[in-house]
Amino acid sequence: MTKNNQSSSAGKTGIMRFFGRAMKNQAFSMFIILIAMWIVLAFMSPYFFTVSNIFEITLQTAVVAIIAAGETFITLTGGLDLSVGSTFACSAVLGGLVFQATQNLFLSLATTLLSGLVFGLINGLLITGLKVPPFIATLGMMGIARGFALIFSRGIPIFGLPPTYMWIGQGKLFNLIPIPTVIMVLVFIVAYLLLNYTRFGRFIFAIGSNTEAARLSGIPVAKVTIGIYAICGLLCGIASTIEAGRLGTIQPAGGNGYELLAIGAVVIGGTSTFGGEGSIIATLIGAIIVTTIRNGLNIIGVNAFWQQVVNGMIIIGAVATDQMRRHK
Amino acid sequence: MAKLLVMKDISKSFYGVKALKNVNFDLESGEVHILLGENGAGKSTLIKILSGAYRADSGNIELEGKHIDISRLGPRMAEEIGIATIYQSFHLIPHLTVAENLMLPRFVRDGGMFIHWKAVFQDAKNALDALDFDIDPHAKVKDLSVSKKQMLEIAIALSKNAKILIMDEPTAALSQKEIEILFSTIARIKERGIGIIYISHKIEEIKRIGDRVTVLRDGSAIATVNPKTTSAEELISIMIGKTISSHNRRVVTSAGKTLFEVKGLQNQNFSKPINFEIYEHEILGIAGLVGSGKTELAQAIFGIDRLDSGKISLEGNKIVITSPRSAVMRGIGYLPEDRDACGLCLNMGVKENMSLANLAQLHSLTYSHVHETQSVQSMVDDIAVKTPELSQQVKYLSGGNKQKVILGKWLLANCRLLILDEPTIGIDVGARSEIYELIRNFAGDPGHSVLFISSDIDEILEISNRLLVMSQWQIVAELDPDKSSKNEIMQYSLGTRTRISHD
Ligand SMILES: Nc1ncnc2c1ncn2[C@@H]1O[C@H](COP(=O)(O)OP(=O)(O)OP(=O)(O)O)[C@@H](O)[C@H]1O
Ligand SMILES: [Mg+2]
Repeated sequence: MTKNNQSSSAGKTGIMRFFGRAMKNQAFSMFIILIAMWIVLAFMSPYFFTVSNIFEITLQTAVVAIIAAGETFITLTGGLDLSVGSTFACSAVLGGLVFQATQNLFLSLATTLLSGLVFGLINGLLITGLKVPPFIATLGMMGIARGFALIFSRGIPIFGLPPTYMWIGQGKLFNLIPIPTVIMVLVFIVAYLLLNYTRFGRFIFAIGSNTEAARLSGIPVAKVTIGIYAICGLLCGIASTIEAGRLGTIQPAGGNGYELLAIGAVVIGGTSTFGGEGSIIATLIGAIIVTTIRNGLNIIGVNAFWQQVVNGMIIIGAVATDQMRRHK
Repeated sequence: MAKLLVMKDISKSFYGVKALKNVNFDLESGEVHILLGENGAGKSTLIKILSGAYRADSGNIELEGKHIDISRLGPRMAEEIGIATIYQSFHLIPHLTVAENLMLPRFVRDGGMFIHWKAVFQDAKNALDALDFDIDPHAKVKDLSVSKKQMLEIAIALSKNAKILIMDEPTAALSQKEIEILFSTIARIKERGIGIIYISHKIEEIKRIGDRVTVLRDGSAIATVNPKTTSAEELISIMIGKTISSHNRRVVTSAGKTLFEVKGLQNQNFSKPINFEIYEHEILGIAGLVGSGKTELAQAIFGIDRLDSGKISLEGNKIVITSPRSAVMRGIGYLPEDRDACGLCLNMGVKENMSLANLAQLHSLTYSHVHETQSVQSMVDDIAVKTPELSQQVKYLSGGNKQKVILGKWLLANCRLLILDEPTIGIDVGARSEIYELIRNFAGDPGHSVLFISSDIDEILEISNRLLVMSQWQIVAELDPDKSSKNEIMQYSLGTRTRISHD
């Protein structure tokens, strides 16, 4: 009897402490907000809480989430990538053109991923080599990559993708789990392992926390920085194949405004824009929130223009609340 | 008459860790009251409560007999009621002039909306002259020496009618000469009836300028004594609760093979090429005043500053160091002087900070987390870092414990040569001798040696096997600490004696 009592009271304080800590954690509070949003939406639409709809949400989340994963790496070092949407479009266009020329799907996908990687690499080299601030380097790249996407495609969407390409965006594993969801989960698992179990991940946090201390500890700051921008570019490439597969076409104007969604996902997850603090899982939750809001607004019938306004406000709101939490 | 300040039963805890337990403290006007205690004893916490940076959990504060509401005591209120903290420079705006910094919120207006610059500079000059401070009002703050910045901070505080000045380890970054200036400044502001709360780890200094000293141990004020009539040994034993055996002198090791050699090293900093060598097991001290080029020498070797010419060899092999990374990969470690700016990732944990240099040296993608935790834990035990857990963010550690974390980082890395720039700044007397021991042990291992840079001559004499004196951006003497004296080193540093004992 007494024993039971003791253990249950110990359990209680344990739970209290867990909640105490959890409430300090932005990711956790965002998770609660997400659940609340879902409950509200479930009342608005009876189809909301069906297995297939949950998968539908993860499917729609995949593109933003994968880009946001790359953006998380960069934000953790205290950097920023504004060029994700343009890189996304341009790498897909290049891959599409290669397919039109060769009819070789493998070559096409490889081109998309590689060109995403190269755009990121160039960002990284500009930032580390020429010391251009990330904001400016990636803002420039945003214009350049978008311009090239339109130039190469002559502004015309690319059609005629093969069924296998479509499968990336529309296929289902076991007839249930959308392929984009599978890719997204894999990306996040790898990103999680990279951040938390490798030297590379530790270096990312160290650079974001204090670049000078990191450099004086012998960390190859430039290499790591170039690496994360390249990874972010690569992930934009991966995300663009998913979107192309889903839509069945490649849009040179695609990915417009995705930097807003990706950065939104990152900051809603609570990753500090000053670098050094944050988590990749939180970004995933952030991406689901961003998507859910978009869907929710669709359900309520808010038009796409207003959705942009809401997205912008959410980013500012997320960072502002995080700042208040930090300075308390 | 009521006392200037009375703090009663002050308690404060951080997430369940008690930093202060019912501390009583008081201050008379015109008095220097010293706070002494081990790293993490709660000294900074106590004064941060007074300056409004932290809020006390409980307790009472009275200023000139008037009760102060501690729940409302924030930085602004502290300033209003005349409590000023002299930081080491963070408060000043580096790109502005001395006058602008001094007069900042109260610029004289030109009748209308424009600032009357001439009046601003004149007022600033008058204020500085009244204090007898030799600072040019037109100088940019970033060009001032550390001690001038400190004087400016004091001038700003006094211009706001401060009654209490708080100084947390003000001499940590000062040269001997600058310390003298600070002490005479303190003597002068005492005469104005201002009370000074002064934190220091330097016993000598405490005996010299302190009127009373209160010792904190583990968050409790355990005694208040007169430093002039209390011996250094007594003060230390009150502070750490036991007597420490007087420092054992260094073990004289026979000079082994040359481990590290610098030949003709030159860049825009030095007035003459730098030549020296370090033997295996040796602790080579570098003495000299602040601004004599000691730090720049370390930065040149470590690949921070570019070299114009010069040859560096390790164990007889020429090595090229182009960046800190290349130095670290070759087994050279550098503990920088400025710990917060260059040494620590403040929002990372103790563990992550301490393993950083070691991880940087590995080549694999992953590493053993178990090994990381174990080696950090044993280092934390060895150098007695006071932290509630290994994951505690470093920014929450006390000053001395932060310094220990950086030292631990380099002791954990696989280094052959450690360059330590003022490694014991902010470290308490007890921990200091333990750290000397660790440094000696490090040097005792095969293939190891240490370059020990310090402006504290006593320390250099105590720890080094051999020492170099730097002055005016060059090496001016090589001395044997057993045959040398504080006086001799001082003379070389000041340039009043010149001889180069080897060529
Ligand atoms: N903001 C904080 N959050 C958590 N713990 C803190 C915080 N500030 C101080 N502490 C803890 O309170 C204790 C007292 O710290 P404090 O900085 O007052 O020590 P100190 O006497 O000034 O030491 P030092 O001589 O090393 O500067 C330490 O254990 C420290 O880790
Ligand atoms: Mg302190």
